[in-house]
Amino acid sequence: MASVTASSVSISSLSCSLKQNQVFNLKKVSFSVSRKSFPSLRLQPAHRRFHVACAAKPETVEKVCEIVRKQLALPADSAVTGESTFLSLGADSLDTVEIVMGLEEEFGISVEEESAQSITTVQEAADMIDKLVEKKA
Amino acid sequence: MKLHCFDRKFFHSSPSLTPIQLPSPMETHLWYVIPREVKSESLLNKYLDILSPCEKENVFQMRGEEPRKNALLARALVRTTIARYQINSQVSPRSLRFKKNIHGKPELEWQFSDHGLSPPLHFNISHTSSLVACGVTMNSQIGIDVEEKHRTIKHNILTFARRYFSKDEVQYLAAILDPEVQRQEFVKLWTLKEAYVKALGRGFSGAPFKTFTIRYKGVAGGSFNPLEDLNPEALQMVVDSFDDPIELTSNWQFVLLELVGSHYAAICMENNVDIEGKRTVPVKLTVWKTIPFLEDECVSGTDAVKTVSGLK
Repeated sequence: MASVTASSVSISSLSCSLKQNQVFNLKKVSFSVSRKSFPSLRLQPAHRRFHVACAAKPETVEKVCEIVRKQLALPADSAVTGESTFLSLGADSLDTVEIVMGLEEEFGISVEEESAQSITTVQEAADMIDKLVEKKA
Repeated sequence: MKLHCFDRKFFHSSPSLTPIQLPSPMETHLWYVIPREVKSESLLNKYLDILSPCEKENVFQMRGEEPRKNALLARALVRTTIARYQINSQVSPRSLRFKKNIHGKPELEWQFSDHGLSPPLHFNISHTSSLVACGVTMNSQIGIDVEEKHRTIKHNILTFARRYFSKDEVQYLAAILDPEVQRQEFVKLWTLKEAYVKALGRGFSGAPFKTFTIRYKGVAGGSFNPLEDLNPEALQMVVDSFDDPIELTSNWQFVLLELVGSHYAAICMENNVDIEGKRTVPVKLTVWKTIPFLEDECVSGTDAVKTVSGLK
């Protein structure tokens, strides 16, 4: 899914139109290009289900949205989805770091500084969390 | 992956922008806008009008009226500020072009360069929800960061510092007993560290916060209390970088201000002095409060600007 994500991002970036209100995320393009590692596509042994470890669970995304809302003091009805970048929600660098710390506490994980700095959207945060939680288990 | 932004080359003059002389070496100009004071729809539309199509798109991607307005003001402030310097008479806010360096730091793209060298005018912006600022220098890298003085940190400050700051900085903060003072010093330190990283232009990951210490000059181990010792020399901020042995502490100068009583503003400037002298030339700072196209006010020396450290 990660490679699909990357290619779908690069496809949409080629058609950067100048329409207003487009949800197209410029930040995601640069992130994907410079990303060093991708979530691995793991094949489990035959007796287990085919398991693709790269898309975060909806509950994780939901939890991340909640933490982001709290940190940025956003109203409960504000639009926060997986696609949302922290930047577009009004987060500055200090907010982003606090969000990551909040996620670490909530999920009982530890995020390396380099990984923390590369997270720009709710979905990316959720993906990373699920990966780390799984590693812990 | 190149995104092509249309470039409108008609030169629309803006008679309502006061032209300003370029800053001299080791001089910084700081311009700020208070978003709350910008209410006119027509003025905001004027700002929108000078943005490039890509910048407009970024503005509209922001969720919520306030973040959108701030993004708009940030870009408008950069364009109108640089245009004031009338580098040549054909510069207008809309005609300015920007590019990013290899690490993603925005820079001015010089359209009319005679000698093909990179433009000598440097800038950096920072904004909170309540203040947008732009710093400008000549021939020096610059980084600025502004934060609300009373910004609350959701986490325990020392936990946060242990996680992200250097050991010396943690020690410095841990020695402060009053929680409110500790919080203030934390915010100040954050702005200084941000300003340094932005001045370096390597991005957050290019200079992780843990790899350098910013401290008062008089201190080597955190024992000195800057709140008691009023020696201005000792109050100068310096940076010790662990990763970069070539990075001399005297290469970078810091200024820390309190703006309009509500914000801390940190400015980090490259020290660009004579090679023979290698003396640290004091930074000269001029601050303007502005509503572009509407009004400017030089606020240096007034209550709006209070020096915390770095200026004589």
